[in-house]
Amino acid sequence: MADKQMSSSIKLPSEERMRMSIFVNGKKKELEIHPAARLVDILREQLHLTGTKISCGIGRCGACSVIMNGRLVNACLVRAYQANEKEIVTIEGLAEKGLHPIQQAFLEEGGFQCGYCTPGMIMAVKAILDQYPNPTSQQIVDGLSGNLCRCTGYSGIIRAVQKLAEKETSRLDSKC
Amino acid sequence: MDYEEGKGLRLKQVCIRPDGVEKVTGHLKFLTDLSFPNMLFAKILRSEYPHANIVSISTEKAEELPGVRAVITSKDVLGLNGFGLIFPDQPVLCKDKVRFVGDAVAAVAAETEEIAEAALQLIEVEYEPLPVVDDPEQAMLPSSPQLHPNGNILHQASYQSGNVEEAFQSCDCIVEETYQLPRQMHAYMETEGGVFVPEKDGTLTVYAGTQHGYKDRYQLARILNMPEEDIRVVSSPLGGSFGGKDELNIQPYGALLALKTGFPVKIHQTRRESVRSGIKRHPMKIKMKTGAKKNGKIIAHQVRIIADTGAYATLGPAVLDFAVEHATGPYMIPNIQVEGYSVFTNNGVAGEFRGFGGNQVTFALEGQIDRLAVKLGMSPLELRQKNLRQAHDPGPVGQKIAPTDGAQQVLKQISQSKLLNSCRKQDHNGLIKTGVGVAITMHGGGLGYGRLDPAGGRISLNEEGKIEIAFGFEEFGQGLLAVIEQIAIRAIGCSREDLHIVIGDTYKVPRSGSSTASRGTSMVWQAIQRMKAPFQNSLLERASQCTDVPVSQLKIGEKGVWHQDELLISYKELAKQTIDKPLIIETRFDFPATPCSIPGGHFLYSFAACAVKVEVDLATGFVRVKHLEQAVAAGPVIFPQGYLGQIEGGSVMALGYTLTEEALIEKGTYVTENFDSYLIPTIKDVPLSIDITAIEELCEEDEYGPRGVGEIGTVAVAPAIAMAIYDATGIWVNKLPVSREEIVNKMMETEMSKWLTSK
Repeated sequence: MADKQMSSSIKLPSEERMRMSIFVNGKKKELEIHPAARLVDILREQLHLTGTKISCGIGRCGACSVIMNGRLVNACLVRAYQANEKEIVTIEGLAEKGLHPIQQAFLEEGGFQCGYCTPGMIMAVKAILDQYPNPTSQQIVDGLSGNLCRCTGYSGIIRAVQKLAEKETSRLDSKC
Repeated sequence: MDYEEGKGLRLKQVCIRPDGVEKVTGHLKFLTDLSFPNMLFAKILRSEYPHANIVSISTEKAEELPGVRAVITSKDVLGLNGFGLIFPDQPVLCKDKVRFVGDAVAAVAAETEEIAEAALQLIEVEYEPLPVVDDPEQAMLPSSPQLHPNGNILHQASYQSGNVEEAFQSCDCIVEETYQLPRQMHAYMETEGGVFVPEKDGTLTVYAGTQHGYKDRYQLARILNMPEEDIRVVSSPLGGSFGGKDELNIQPYGALLALKTGFPVKIHQTRRESVRSGIKRHPMKIKMKTGAKKNGKIIAHQVRIIADTGAYATLGPAVLDFAVEHATGPYMIPNIQVEGYSVFTNNGVAGEFRGFGGNQVTFALEGQIDRLAVKLGMSPLELRQKNLRQAHDPGPVGQKIAPTDGAQQVLKQISQSKLLNSCRKQDHNGLIKTGVGVAITMHGGGLGYGRLDPAGGRISLNEEGKIEIAFGFEEFGQGLLAVIEQIAIRAIGCSREDLHIVIGDTYKVPRSGSSTASRGTSMVWQAIQRMKAPFQNSLLERASQCTDVPVSQLKIGEKGVWHQDELLISYKELAKQTIDKPLIIETRFDFPATPCSIPGGHFLYSFAACAVKVEVDLATGFVRVKHLEQAVAAGPVIFPQGYLGQIEGGSVMALGYTLTEEALIEKGTYVTENFDSYLIPTIKDVPLSIDITAIEELCEEDEYGPRGVGEIGTVAVAPAIAMAIYDATGIWVNKLPVSREEIVNKMMETEMSKWLTSK
């Protein structure tokens, strides 16, 4: 049987560990960890930051989106050694106090339903707005094309981002 | 921003869902986010073959692996080795036979997930592969290998009225077509999982998402051989379900391993594990023959449905009954013959999915209407109007139903859509063609005649002075908490801050039935209507007793009971003063079903009409839905954001069903295993505008209030898109998802023949 042949070659999970330091939501964390541990597992299991979700595990759905050194990444595709010495922002670190305007817009416009894709989606919106404070619709759909939502059909998410962009426009207008 | 300004249902007032802040901040703990001290991790060994005898199972090597705490096989099942919402025919752990690749053979609990995974590979299972039954029509033949003791036909259902054969003789126009519908995956973002905690007092707490906590408790009690009362099921919140988590999946393994090890056990399936083990929408092959007179009156409709139900029953019989019932939809046809078969195969397991058999049969029915219209040279809207039910007509299987003018309402509304009269644009080189299409549907709510469909709820003034509203429902995104809050505030007259809503925990909630079948909103409204007067009266009497102000001068309001525009006594104070005699009002009733004895026959229906505009790229076969409108008649809107979200989200889920989604199985084994090949719509695939109109008026005598809209938005979309593709290209789609290759090939053929004849 194929099973039996395989079993002789199976190695136990490696005991190898590396020391890593990681800045999560502004706080430095020191960890002893397997070098190939996934960032999503480090966040969820080691640091108990379960706001970052896991869904496809292959970088297709964006449920695990976090911002690493200013760029949006799928935390399921980032390994410990790649995250070493990096600055990570997760959904828990988005708002300094109260709600971030993106979160408020999602609440008001129905940008979520079950809420499972929401942390990743909101981090992706953050990454768009960091790059383009007043994004075009093309920039919005490009920026969110890696984040799947099965509940909303994206309508509420689009409304939320539109609202944010409109606020930005009126802010700029009032400055002029 | 250049999104087109839409019309229709818009959010007039901002109303924040009760679960909103926790969700947008990531603070909400889903049940797969939980962890407990000394928690173990479990993995389930699923079958290597779609159909095989098990010769032997050896778990010794796995048990010896350091860090492994328990390995279970069929002999460790404490009670009934089977589960299933209707018949418990799916083994918890297979003993001598496997019937699909998701069948569980063994399960392991270990100190880490990696060790559990490694241990699975050390379990030695010797199989004797059997011929794979992968075609339901073949499976119906006596020569096919039989998968279950009673053969391969799980369920048969039919409906007959008049005489179709005779009627076809007098038809001026007949359309005959076979439609094929794919195996759609729910693709909830949170895969199945949870934590199973053995408590010190010998009870078990199950933290795992489902759509009916009490039903999970009942099924688990049978499997664990434990009294139901000793099992607590915490079933909410869920990261999506869409019908997919109503049936048990990982629960039996987590529960058995927790009891065996004495430690909390966590399971959280990977996406591949979820695809392999989870149920899907029934693939169906539907043959329809429909005949009309020259004037457009449809007089005969013959339907044959074959549903691939996969390896086990789950809700297969009910899904087939639903499809048979809805095979004539909102049309009044004098001669009808419908027969349906739900057939066992080794192709996964098909079960409950948003729309529940209605999506498949409506695609076929509306396809027939459009083909007839074209053949008769009549507008599709006019043909629909000619045959459409009136408010007091009986239901689709001749049964008594609550009077409803929904069909007329939605058709009238969609007829006014600007989309339908928008100009046909064609790009300059003629390769992009535009088309529009419309489809309508009627959809039954609740489980239907002959099925236990109890509902109920509870209102109390709790010790903290909150008005506690408890229902045995679950929140999986649909907005049930917001619905409860809105209905309660309006009915009782208190504020949202005065409420404490409790759902999804069998230790805390009454029985309300399942969070399925578009029944939640309906049942919450009806329950609160029943409880509000007794609750208000009792509350006021108590306030009166505590304050010596007569009841007639008291009013329920924000924070407490008021007298002449002043807060007289707060709820908190009232609770404190009446703590010896707590105020609890409960209600129990059944979801209204038709009095006619038709298995699964419905009584309350909702309606939708969908219009779409598509662009078809003739060079690539790519279909883009540019605009989508839906008119929905389902009674009053309770929570506009949730209503809108259900129809928008349902529309896009149906768009995926139509254009890209198929859980492909070849010879019983999944080919699509994750979101790299199973393609649900991304933000780039959705229309720029989705406009929803809610028609809230019910018939005058209607006392049933708002209907749920969880399913209705998913039903009419596919046939509308298919019609729009025909409108754009002249190609009739009869198989989903739409094949780009087929569009390209058919266009080539057409162009080729044009070129040849012009030569």
